[in-house]
Amino acid sequence: MAEGTAPAPPIRVDAISRRFGRTLALDGVSFEVRDREFFALLGPNGAGKTTLLHILCTVLRPDSGQALIRGLDVVRQPLAARRLLGIVFQEASLDDRLTVRENLDLHGLVFGVPGALRRRRIDEMLALVELTAWADRTTRTLSSGMKRRLEIARALIHDSEILLLDEPTAGLDAQSRERIWSYIRRLRGERHITVLVTTHYIEEVEGCDRVCIVDRGRVLALDAPETLKRTHGGQMLRIVPRGDDDRRAILGRFADRLKGEAGDAILLASDDAFVEAFLADCGRRIRSMTVEIPSLETVFLTLTGRALRDQSAGESERTRAFGRRGGEHTR
Amino acid sequence: MTAAAPTPSLAPVSRRSPVLVQLGGLYGLWLREVKRAVRDRGQLVGGFSRPILWVLILGIGLNPYFRGEVYGEVTFVVPFTYLQFIFPAVVALNIMYTSVQSAISVIWDREFGFLREVLVSPLSRSTVLLGKVLGGATVAMAHGSLVLVLARFADVPLTWGTVAKALGVMAMLALALTSLGIVIANRIRSFEGFGVFSNAVILPLYFTSSSIFPLDPALTRAQTRVVYPDWLVTLVEYNPLTYAVDTLRGVLIHYNQFDPRLGLLIMAVAGIVLFTIALLDFRRA
Repeated sequence: MAEGTAPAPPIRVDAISRRFGRTLALDGVSFEVRDREFFALLGPNGAGKTTLLHILCTVLRPDSGQALIRGLDVVRQPLAARRLLGIVFQEASLDDRLTVRENLDLHGLVFGVPGALRRRRIDEMLALVELTAWADRTTRTLSSGMKRRLEIARALIHDSEILLLDEPTAGLDAQSRERIWSYIRRLRGERHITVLVTTHYIEEVEGCDRVCIVDRGRVLALDAPETLKRTHGGQMLRIVPRGDDDRRAILGRFADRLKGEAGDAILLASDDAFVEAFLADCGRRIRSMTVEIPSLETVFLTLTGRALRDQSAGESERTRAFGRRGGEHTR
Repeated sequence: MTAAAPTPSLAPVSRRSPVLVQLGGLYGLWLREVKRAVRDRGQLVGGFSRPILWVLILGIGLNPYFRGEVYGEVTFVVPFTYLQFIFPAVVALNIMYTSVQSAISVIWDREFGFLREVLVSPLSRSTVLLGKVLGGATVAMAHGSLVLVLARFADVPLTWGTVAKALGVMAMLALALTSLGIVIANRIRSFEGFGVFSNAVILPLYFTSSSIFPLDPALTRAQTRVVYPDWLVTLVEYNPLTYAVDTLRGVLIHYNQFDPRLGLLIMAVAGIVLFTIALLDFRRA
């Protein structure tokens, strides 16, 4: 990136790899996020989204490759890069014994926002996420949706221009989820801000500018949602054969249309004419059949051969469970 | 999704000098520790009840038995009562509990994500650690000072000079112990309670630090080993806390079993070494 001419892109990721023991969490991932873009990383749990985000926010080093925040290398200039970033982690990182305002104030102090500006930003951000009435409540008493809103507010106290959100709506009810997105939309209207979100809720990325689909540490596709649907979507037939003979027969006959297998089901590329032909031909061989219209879900199926899957919980679950049970006054 | 024409980029946050950012952050983290401690009822109850139990109940109860008499023959005379003797040790005990307890909250910071928020801030790791240690030590000193309030019941006369000196020693002790707590906390992956610490670290250190019984001051080293079993004397002599408590005792009741400078030296060295270890752990994590 040449200095002085066009400003460096908000985020640039260049052939990043990262290994944890035997698993390759990221395998040569590259992409660039444009200025003021609403960019989504979509993939199942364990795809490497969070690892990538941790590298972008400088808490994790890549094994190889380079990540740049406005041209600042996250490994060599982490402190400068962090000033530009506003981060909302997947798991709450608030101090739940402090009040809402105290949490924001602490963040401002830690990021070196001077006193008067800090107070003004806190009031603005509380108003934006509609928590003004809760300013002096202990964070512990907030619902999880409110906590997430507070964290979004917090990420913006230091006038960050790049907002990184890791699964901002995970674990929230539909109403809270919609609210989070509406705040993000409003923010993009009011401030010069670039947003990168990770999510495994496919329906949430429809409104993004571009979607980057990742799985098993690799980028599978990167484009606007509409374009993705056009190129990879296509109509699909999801068929569950009656028995093994039927399965073999169908697979043999339509090998050229095979898109993947998900559990019992077989996925075939399809169009309206094909549906009729298929039914006439193999109607007796199937237990059930679903026509899947083009959506990001089918894009994902096409690209990975699998539906978005869920995964089990992490390591230190025992300690956390203890803490959540009420744990210990040391907390 | 197309956004409306945005207002031009906000006035950027005025760039504070890096030193000022670190200091501001340090203050913020320190303030957080203090606020949390004040809101922690359990810790406060412990801070009040511990000295009352040790000084008023145990101290007063054992006071009459603290005589060096064997079959009517005085073996040695100590120029203070048991209550006076144990008083400085209870100050140390209160500091010890609170320091370790504050340090253990590192585990919760780590597991519940707060640590991450700080680690992606422009603060250096050493600032973050120092904020934690200073905050924990401040709270520990406050709890230690609670014991000083009981001084009159223990017949320990306090002057402003004594209090100032005692606070100095207490600060060194609190800093060293908080660092110790953090070093331990960094090495713990699964944590299910503070009780383990109090039983495995705090109480053993306390009981073998010549806190609740003196190594007979009138006896020579060889004689001491006749009165007390060898292993116990060895434990006491190898326990660094012995020397810290001894220094504090020298300040508060003017009685020393060892050279008071030894205690200061041990606390300073232990504090620096433990803080360094904690910092190295922290950088690696």
